[in-house]
Amino acid sequence: MNELALAWKALAGSWAVPAAFFGVAWGIVGGALPGISPSIAMALLLPFTYGMDPIVGIVMLASVYVGAEYGGSIPAILIRTPGTNAAAATVIDGFEMNRRGRGGEALGISLMSGLVGGIFGLLVLAAATGPLARIALAFTPPAYFALGLLGLSAIASLSGRSLVKGAAAAVLGLMLATVGTDPVSGVARFTFDSPDLLNGIRPIVVMVGLFAVTELIAQVIEPDWEKPAGARLKLPGRAMWKRLARPQAIGAVIGAFEGATPGAAGSVAAFLAYNEARRWSKKPEEYGKGSPEGVAAPECANNVVTATALVPLLGLGIPGSNSAAVLMGGLLLHGLTPGPMLFVKSPDIVYGLYGGLLVANLAMLLLGLVILTPCLWLVTRPKHYLMAFILALVVTGVYAIEQSLFDVALALGIGVVGYGLRYFGVPQLPMVLGAVLGFMVESNYRRSLVLSGGEHSIFVQDPVALGLLIAAAALVAYALVKRND
Amino acid sequence: LRRDLACAALGLALAGAYWAGAAALPESLLADAVGAEGVPKALAALLALLSVVIGIRGALRPSAVYDSKNHLRALGIAGLGFLYIAIAPLIGYAIAIALLSGAAALYYGARRPAGVALFGLGAAALLWLVFGALLGIPLPG
Repeated sequence: MNELALAWKALAGSWAVPAAFFGVAWGIVGGALPGISPSIAMALLLPFTYGMDPIVGIVMLASVYVGAEYGGSIPAILIRTPGTNAAAATVIDGFEMNRRGRGGEALGISLMSGLVGGIFGLLVLAAATGPLARIALAFTPPAYFALGLLGLSAIASLSGRSLVKGAAAAVLGLMLATVGTDPVSGVARFTFDSPDLLNGIRPIVVMVGLFAVTELIAQVIEPDWEKPAGARLKLPGRAMWKRLARPQAIGAVIGAFEGATPGAAGSVAAFLAYNEARRWSKKPEEYGKGSPEGVAAPECANNVVTATALVPLLGLGIPGSNSAAVLMGGLLLHGLTPGPMLFVKSPDIVYGLYGGLLVANLAMLLLGLVILTPCLWLVTRPKHYLMAFILALVVTGVYAIEQSLFDVALALGIGVVGYGLRYFGVPQLPMVLGAVLGFMVESNYRRSLVLSGGEHSIFVQDPVALGLLIAAAALVAYALVKRND
Repeated sequence: LRRDLACAALGLALAGAYWAGAAALPESLLADAVGAEGVPKALAALLALLSVVIGIRGALRPSAVYDSKNHLRALGIAGLGFLYIAIAPLIGYAIAIALLSGAAALYYGARRPAGVALFGLGAAALLWLVFGALLGIPLPG
């Protein structure tokens, strides 16, 4: 009860509630713009929090994160362009629903699943920061390698008609992830002496290229999409809630563990949740063709992560993601050191933050209800103007990531490759997964071998790694058996 | 030419080029047992193997897809994007993005020149306001 009183006092006695609303609105705008990641949206506001009351500044930054992770799903559903990395899995069924005239329903499911995920994540954060932080500490390089393989195991069910072509696409993605400075030896790989490639190819550039640019190219010669007259936001009814309960539960559990693991981003949680929801669905055949469950699971998972990603930060003082690092910057800016002592020295900040996250999730619901119908109206404009605007938005958004026209050229080039893949019947999703997970898999594989003196037995001696490897093998075996049914 | 055979040939060519690139990587004093080239070489070999399987399957099960789409015309939209990259540093972001928006609208089938011009100017103004003025991102040019 004392914690609740602290949270209430922090919120009621300051400008934290308006700050949460402003933060969520800013985050939704940032998340919906390709190229503005949640961490960038937060970083842009960071200097303005300096003169604020600490709790107001911290709540505002955390609310930007909540808004941005949700905002990323809006362009993913409406224009096949994930606004954030974590929204990539939402593209699969969200855009397919929109293409079939069910965009309003997809946005409603995304909003409500995001709310469920956000609230669940907050409960996990409040109740289990201590135990989850200890799990995070158990993650060694072999465990991270195994976690990456577990993510890659989703390829078996994301490959569409041809598993071989899906595997080839995943290898292409892994190849893209090897571009840049080698994580162990520091050798520049496949950079062609270009300094623009030394930091590698960012997954968001790959995603925008493969999803948005490929679609922009294809739409030149495709007929108009099916557009519903008077498209409106449609919230899920009772029957739909019942149907979504299972994928949301799967997304919530996966998001809770993934978020609490430093370095495991929301995109991994979203893809794993999508894959597992499909595996446990009564209608798996609808996935990829506009399944509401395929929107609910990843959206729930990546919104759970917005809360549980704070577990390593608050519990251990370790920022587990870029966004958590910016929030850590906000705490340090106000003379607050994140970690276990924060609960002792500044409980008002910690519990005020929990309360602020609750307000942020409610703000997300209210703001979502206001802005989504105009968003739907925008995407029912004449196709030639809509596509042209998306192209302009994509080239501007990708440029905004690093102020680099080279990145824009990369996204366009990857879009052309994506169009080629489509021509040859090669699925694109495994390539995205490979590009997202490649660095994590390779760097931790090699770090593990450095630790073990080259002995591969390290992967079975580490209990967490062994468990994850067994899970990955079981998931692949299950997917293969299902394919042969 | 059967589509899967072409796909396999491209895969093999890419695998070969990637292997060659990996083999040419310099040695590092900090190299581990796997080396900077270890994982790329494994990926190249895997892609080659998968390409061979795709090729064999394509040869055994030829697809009878008739494709009359004008793919080169589709790729033209990416060409407009590359043109934007070339001219934006010279003429500035606002003019370049207005030209790109207008040209792309025409390419997608817009017919009214006045509408296209208004759209180009409006899109440029909106994007400049959001990215340049509101978010403070330095835009090209």
